[in-house]
Order: sequence, then structure tokens, then C-alpha cells
Amino acid sequence: MNGPAVLRALRDNGLSLGFGTLFLLALAGQAVTGQADYNSQQLSSGGEPVSLGQYLVSSSFAVDVAENWQSEYLQFFLYIFATVWLLQRGSPESKETGHQGPQSDEQQRMGSHAEPNSPRWVLLGGWREAMFSRSLGLVMSGIFLASWGTQSIAGWAAYNSDQLATRQDPIGWADYLGEPDFWNRTLQNWQSELLAVGSMAIFAVYLRQRGSSESKQVGAPHQETSSTS
Amino acid sequence: MRTTKAIFYAYLTLIVLSLAYFVALGVTHR
Repeated sequence: MNGPAVLRALRDNGLSLGFGTLFLLALAGQAVTGQADYNSQQLSSGGEPVSLGQYLVSSSFAVDVAENWQSEYLQFFLYIFATVWLLQRGSPESKETGHQGPQSDEQQRMGSHAEPNSPRWVLLGGWREAMFSRSLGLVMSGIFLASWGTQSIAGWAAYNSDQLATRQDPIGWADYLGEPDFWNRTLQNWQSELLAVGSMAIFAVYLRQRGSSESKQVGAPHQETSSTS
Repeated sequence: MRTTKAIFYAYLTLIVLSLAYFVALGVTHR
């Protein structure tokens, strides 16, 4: 790609590239500060400090990352599925009232209403079209379940290493799923995501952010639900 | 759209490989 083509590719993908870059920076920051926090706990409990490399292969780092991932993907997959059926009058996050449900093939430009440049699996029809019509929710809920499962395994290993450090017996994975440690890590993340989503849906009825695709137009009336911009 | 598709697969790969890595860490730290 030549210079102008690179610039255009950057501009066309600003959201995914910008957030991807911020993610990597934040994860690096979490690794460094996580190691420092881990080491201060190790020192206060008479344990050995670990290097950054050792911390990055520890279950403590893994569970801290995974527990936050699962809650973010829970938020998105719930929102994706809930917005099929639940509406919020006046919110640009919602469909117009009365449009509950998966809608007709005509409204969704699928089935016999597919267009020549529709995605291939829409044009192929059958099970592929059925799968494709649910692919966003399936992938997001799949990542949620995988992250939550990962949290349970890494959290179990971290829990057992704490148990051993304090000369207590390690427990089995299934037993860990009944431990307050697992549910405290899980629910403290869920509650914040659910509050943020609910408040965003209702705040966007009465508040505006000029130029944002998440906001109605500044002059749009409060009772107007779908933003046309 | 070539760059866009590349970013799509980069995100998916990052997520899947990271989760596999974290599971491996958990299992080997038993």
C-alpha cells in the first residue's frame, strides 16, 4: 500500500485500531501493576517476589484478565439478544416501539429479499443463512462462556496456590465453583456492566453527544427513538 | 475492506489464543 492508501485504511478502521491499541497499552499496564501488587502481597505474607515473566505465566494474572473479559462479553451478548425483544422508548440504542422480535425477511433484507451484494451466507440460504443471522450473538456469547470457563480454571489454580501457601488443602475444580471467591469475582464484574448498560439506555433518551453514533441528533426530540443519522 | 477483514481476524485470533493460553496456565498450575 502507498502512503495515501495506508492513511485511508487507518481512517476507515479508526474504532477497531484505536481501541485495539488502547487495549494493548492497558493490558501492559495491568501486567506491570499486577506484578507489583502481587509482590507486595507476597512480601507481606512471607513469600518470594516474582519477576514480570513469572507473573505473566501465573494463574493470578490469568484470572484477573479472564474475569474482566467474561463480564464485558456478557454485557454485549445480553445487549445483543435483549434488544431484539426489549425496547426503550426514546433511546437511540433501541428499535422503534412496536418493532419487537426478529422482524420480517423484507425488513432484514434476507431470504427472497436478499440483494446481489448481500453476504454470501445470506445468498446461500438454508442453515447457513439461519446461522449467519445469529452469528454476532453466537460469537459474543461463545466468547463469554469461554472467558467465564477460563476464569473458573485460572481462578481455581490461583485459589489453590493461595491454599498451599497458607498450608491448607487444595480443592477440586467443581468445589471451586461453589466457593465465594469464584462468585465474588464473577458478580462484582456483572453488576457494574449491567448498571452501565441500563443507565446508557436511559441516559441516551434525555442526553446528547453531538456527532456520536451512540447519541441521537442534538435537536432530536426526547420521545424520538431511532436516530436516522 | 481487506484491512478491515484482517483486523476482524486479528481480534478473533487474539481472543481465542489468549483464552487457550490462560486455560493452559490454569491447568498446568494445578
